[in-house]
Amino acid sequence: MILLEKAPPFATVQDLGWPTGRAMGLPQCGAMDPLLLGRANALVGNLPGAAGIEWALGPGVLRAGFACELTVLGAGEVLLDGEPADMAHPVWSLEPGARVTVTPDRDQRFLYVAVRGGIDVPVVLGSRSTYLPGGFGGFEGRRLKAGDLLPVGPALHTRLGGLVHPRAAPDAGAEEMPIRVTRGPQWDRFDQAARRTLLESRFRISASSDRMGYRLEGPAIVPSRTATLPSEAACPGAIQIPDGGAPIVLMPDGPTVGGYPKIAVVVRDDLRCLAQYLPGHEVRFREAG
Amino acid sequence: MSGFGATIVPLGEQAWTVVLGETVDRMLHQRVTALAARIAAARIPGLVEIVPAYATVTVFFEGDAEEIRRKLVALSHHERSEVIPPPEAMPELHVIPVRYDGPDLAYIATETGLTRQQIIQRHSSREYLVYLLGFVPGFGYLGDLDPSLVLPRRATPRTRVPAGSVAIAGAQTAVYPLATPGGWHLIGTTTTVMFDPAREPAALLKAGDRVRFEPVA
Repeated sequence: MILLEKAPPFATVQDLGWPTGRAMGLPQCGAMDPLLLGRANALVGNLPGAAGIEWALGPGVLRAGFACELTVLGAGEVLLDGEPADMAHPVWSLEPGARVTVTPDRDQRFLYVAVRGGIDVPVVLGSRSTYLPGGFGGFEGRRLKAGDLLPVGPALHTRLGGLVHPRAAPDAGAEEMPIRVTRGPQWDRFDQAARRTLLESRFRISASSDRMGYRLEGPAIVPSRTATLPSEAACPGAIQIPDGGAPIVLMPDGPTVGGYPKIAVVVRDDLRCLAQYLPGHEVRFREAG
Repeated sequence: MSGFGATIVPLGEQAWTVVLGETVDRMLHQRVTALAARIAAARIPGLVEIVPAYATVTVFFEGDAEEIRRKLVALSHHERSEVIPPPEAMPELHVIPVRYDGPDLAYIATETGLTRQQIIQRHSSREYLVYLLGFVPGFGYLGDLDPSLVLPRRATPRTRVPAGSVAIAGAQTAVYPLATPGGWHLIGTTTTVMFDPAREPAALLKAGDRVRFEPVA
C-alpha cells in the first residue's frame, strides 16, 4: 500500500490507456507522457504498461505502507524523510512508513511515480487508466485525494532489460525543437497561407488546456473550404481547427470523433513533449520529413 | 489513392481514413458499413481497430503503414462488388423508454410551431439508425430526425447535461451516456444505461444498430 498523505491538486492513476474502444466512443486515455511513465516503470522493474501515478500542479506527500521500491521521474525535487533524494540514481528502497515529499519541476507539467509491482487498481475494459469524464477506471474513477490508500501489485520475478536512465534536462537557453506534425486528413482544405501560419508561427499553450485537449493561442488558421464536416474519427495529436481558427490539439482523453477539420497530426513521439508544456509555453510546428 | 470515389488520407502515423463522401445519408452509410465489414473480414495483420463514421471508415493499425494502405486501396476498390460479408456483430433493435420532460420542449414548440404532443409523437414514431458512436463512451449519433424537428444547436452550450438526457440537434438525436457539457436540445430522460464499463459489451449501441424511443409516463 502507498498512502497519499498530502495530495497534489491533480493526480490520477494512469497506464498506457485503452488500446481499443474507439468504435464505442472510448478515448485512448492513459499517461500524457507515456515514455516518462515507461521509464519510471523500467527503473523499478515493471513492464512499461504498469500503472503509476500521474501527478501535476503542486507538491504532495506519499507514505510507504510497507517496504517497497519506488521512483519519481519528472519532479523538481524529491525528499525522502526530509532528506534530498539521490536523483542521479532515482530508485529508492523505502522502509515501511517512509515519507516521500514530491515537488513538480517548474518547466514540466506531469511527473510520474512508479512503484515496483505497479499500482494495482482493478482493470476496467483492459486498462487501469482513469477516465475522469466517465468517472471510471483508475482509483475509483476519480482524482486522488489525501488519505487514499493505493494497492501495489506483485513484482515481476525477473527484472526486464537494463536500467533506463531518465532523460537529461535540456540545456538551459537551448532553442527548443519544433513539434513535428504529419499532414492531417483535411490538409487539402487549407490554402498555402493557412498551412504557412501553422508551420511558421509561434503559438502559446492556453491556460484552458487539459487531458482532453490543449488550446493554442496565436494567429488564426482559417480553412478555405466549409469548415465542419460529418463527424469522423479523430486521435490524440490531431490538430483541430474550430470555426474561430484557434487550434486545439487533442490529447489522450479527447473525443474519439469530431466534425472540425484536422489540418495536421502531431507525431506520436512529440505529443508527449507538447503534453509537458505548461500554459504560456511557446510552441512551433514543423512538417515531419 | 482512390477506388470508386474513395480517397485514403492519413490520420497520424497509425491510422488511415477511407473517405467515401462528405454527406450524412443512409445510402452512403450503407457503403461505410459494408466497407467496414469487408475490412474486418480481410483480417489484416497489424490492424488494431476499425472506426466507421458517417462517411468514413478509419483504420487504426500497428506496423507498416504502406502495406496497410495498399490493402485498403484494394478493399475500397472492390467496393461495388456483390459480396458483402456479414458484419462482425449483427445489428440489433433497441427500444429506449423516454420520459418526455426535457427543459427545451417549450423552446422547440415555439420554434417549430408544434405542440408538445406532436413533438413527442414525431420523435417516438421513427426507427433511428445508429450512424456512429463517439464524443464520449456510448454516445450514439442517431438519425434521421423528422424534418419538422430539425433545429440548429443551442447558441450557448450547457456546461452540464445530466446522464440519461435525450436530446436533438440538426437531423440527429442522442442519449447522453454521462454528464458532460452539451449543446443539444433536451427533450426527455431515460433510465436506460447507455455505457457501463462493467457490462459486456460496455456500450449499449453499436454503429448500424436501430433505436426506437418509447414514451413513458
